[in-house]
Amino acid sequence: MSQRASIETRATRRAWWLAAPALIWTLAFFILPFGTMAVLSLWQRTDVGLEATWDLGNYANFLANPAYIQALTNSLEITVTVTILSVLLAYPLAWIIAEEIPERFRRLALALAVIPFWTSYVVRSYAWSLVLAKSGVLNDWLGAVGLGPLDLANSRAATVIGFTHFFTMLLTLSIYASLVQMPPNLRRAAADLGAGAFATFRLIVLPLTLPGVMVGAFLTFALCIGDYVTPQILGGGNDLALPQLIMLQIGRRADLPMAAALSIILMLAVTLAYLGMARWMKVVR
Amino acid sequence: MTRYLACALYMILLYGFIFLPVGVLVLFSFQDGRFPIPPFQGFSLRWHQEVLGDGDLMAALGNSLLVAVASSLVALTLGFLAARAFATARLPGVTALRGALMAPLSVSYLVIGLGLLASFNLMGLSKSLWTVAAGHVVINTPLCFAICAAALGEAQVSAERAARDLGAGEFRVMTLVTAPMILPALIAAFLLSVTFSWDEFIIAFLLSRFDVTLPVEIWSLLRSGLNPKTNAIGSLVFLVSALAILSFELTLARRK
Amino acid sequence: MTKTNLLAALVGSTCLANAALSQELNALVWCDHTDASFVAPFEEEFGVTVKLKEYEGTGAALSLIETSQPGDWDVLVVDGIDVPRVVAAGILGPLNTDELPYDTLFPELVMEENHVIDGVTYAISEKYGYNTVSFNSEVFTAEDMADMTRLWSGDFAGQLAVYDYYLPVMGMIAVGLGMDTATLSMDDLPAIEEALLALKDSASSVGEVVASQTAIATGEVDILVGGGEWVTAGLTADLPNLDWIIPEQGAVRWSQSIGVFADSAQPDLAQEFVKYVLSPEGQAALATSSCYWAMPANAAAADVLTDDQKRALRWDDQASYLARAQLYPAPDAELDAAMQDVWTRFLAR
Repeated sequence: MSQRASIETRATRRAWWLAAPALIWTLAFFILPFGTMAVLSLWQRTDVGLEATWDLGNYANFLANPAYIQALTNSLEITVTVTILSVLLAYPLAWIIAEEIPERFRRLALALAVIPFWTSYVVRSYAWSLVLAKSGVLNDWLGAVGLGPLDLANSRAATVIGFTHFFTMLLTLSIYASLVQMPPNLRRAAADLGAGAFATFRLIVLPLTLPGVMVGAFLTFALCIGDYVTPQILGGGNDLALPQLIMLQIGRRADLPMAAALSIILMLAVTLAYLGMARWMKVVR
Repeated sequence: MTRYLACALYMILLYGFIFLPVGVLVLFSFQDGRFPIPPFQGFSLRWHQEVLGDGDLMAALGNSLLVAVASSLVALTLGFLAARAFATARLPGVTALRGALMAPLSVSYLVIGLGLLASFNLMGLSKSLWTVAAGHVVINTPLCFAICAAALGEAQVSAERAARDLGAGEFRVMTLVTAPMILPALIAAFLLSVTFSWDEFIIAFLLSRFDVTLPVEIWSLLRSGLNPKTNAIGSLVFLVSALAILSFELTLARRK
Repeated sequence: MTKTNLLAALVGSTCLANAALSQELNALVWCDHTDASFVAPFEEEFGVTVKLKEYEGTGAALSLIETSQPGDWDVLVVDGIDVPRVVAAGILGPLNTDELPYDTLFPELVMEENHVIDGVTYAISEKYGYNTVSFNSEVFTAEDMADMTRLWSGDFAGQLAVYDYYLPVMGMIAVGLGMDTATLSMDDLPAIEEALLALKDSASSVGEVVASQTAIATGEVDILVGGGEWVTAGLTADLPNLDWIIPEQGAVRWSQSIGVFADSAQPDLAQEFVKYVLSPEGQAALATSSCYWAMPANAAAADVLTDDQKRALRWDDQASYLARAQLYPAPDAELDAAMQDVWTRFLAR
């Protein structure tokens, strides 16, 4: 008995040693910096530098400034639109790849759907700006068939298109993964019991894949709301998003405390979205 | 029949959407003119040549490779060790610890970058490729940890126990027993980390000084004028990564 | 072939990185200083490597400096109007004025009130130009652009882009409204904001240096508010239809100054770099940089620039332009914060 206990203590001690490097790294380069930001958000930028005022001045400024609130609203609207659009576009594609096409083409179809993922991230937004420009490819083609021109460049529409492109690829992958994990006999059973295709989908397929979709949607939300590059390149200064506002604090005012406060607000939005998703998953189960 | 048509149509539309920007990017990298927008003025390789002759871009490419490989190796080591720890022993507060390790996944890179910027500044550390790599280890460790944890199961634990009973030391157990057993997962985690680090912009932008990574260099290229050169470097990077992925896929397929 | 080139370049760049272990000069600059050909003569003469980090807007520079360690930087290029602010923050050290070409500097660019503080010189002008109106002369005539207030009247809705930097554009609007940029106060802001927001309703985009150039060069828009020769001069070879004008009300003049960091570890080398930038050769290269062209502060550059280049820079018209342009506004901290808030509202609209 005592020998067994000592083996277990030894195993535990060894496990601590193994986990220590990752835990220390996370503490030093993630948790402490996060704490630094939380602290910094309570300071103020003054003429001479940073001053430790220990108050909520930056948060009060945020609430008192309609343009800042607007940036948060813009970001939320863009992110929610993108999340919904991407799920709606990706689900059918993942379905077709998983269910409708011959098995030997499946991997190829999936690989094709995510290949543009490997263009550099900054370049992808830039490429969309070339497509959507007033004299860009899209309007060139539309003009050739006597349509257009569409004025999509430098607008929220451009930002949403750029984001949706990226997240449709991401979600196709994750939804495909949850579709193929579904046991096939469940659906066969439903069909045997006389359920139509639509009923099977609604009663069996959708509930089984929904958790996977929700996780993907949350990831989309978290990545999208925190992204600076896409709105900066595609928004054309017409649709200020929260990350752009954060970069403005650094780039224009050297105001790290305000940038920190805005980052905390950004993380708050992500946390709320996470709690919402977690709660919803619990209810569904 | 209509069902197949509908499916085919949907696929064509979506693949069109997915490939549109890449196609335009590559096409206009061959533009024989000053601006990468229609009309297409003829085929030219001059922008590709300019990219290959651009010392800053090539240096950035080298920096990116260095940062990606170094940070991924560290992240993989940290993630692998931690995953083994969680798989072999029941640690107190395991949920909280696991949560802490995974947390960086859901935090915006911008926020991680800002936090590191502020902390490095307080610590008196100058910005460099090292600080960028440290940031990339933060974002990649949870990824490596999750992939390794998913691959480690009962089989590994009992194989390790057997090896230990036979007198193997901890290091040898790890390198000669555990690691080879989950090699595919290790490779996948490493490659995924390399991809993420290779493509990461905002952390590298905030934490670098003169030696920058490729996305940061492309960012400043974008700000030095509308130029098919940006298309050219984008296309080259895309082709190289796509080929790498494809060959990786094929090797895996053959092994199966 | 491609692959070998890539490999060769990779190996080459690694060797370069190693060679850089020799002496380095670290400079924080606007993007017009980053051409390799601009710093090459200096690097050769002194056997050093000049490392350049580009930024846009003084706030960004301050951010970078504040998140760096003492001794990280040697040379700073900054808007002339912001030199007192930077000096007050203890960033710049004294400049040795011997051997600097004060006798050939355009008199308007000496700007003693900005560069000399308590009898000590901290910086010297190196380049200047105007924030005014650039336009496509195939679509609009000079008469269309003569009255600046038409820009925010709605006459050009959807046809204009705005340069994304609050100081020059708000200064320009102030000039258009008949105000004096040197004495702007909080009381002037509401009128400026009203015009600015009206301008936003006509604007199709708001972008930084290159986005602005791109917008007008590709025909995305036909007017660029805040533009000037820095947008058009470098493009005239490709796009002769791009023109710029100073409206009847006037325009805003920008200027860049160069100085040495107070905590530079190699002030002598930094001083030599300043001398090089102010030399006729350095000035000519700087004036015609790939990021943007603009007038050199040292008139002696005329001997090095070609006639075509001088024509593109409109060398001979400078006297009249200089007379009609006012300086950037130089707000105190309170006004600056208020102006930035107005600009944020402008962007969020």
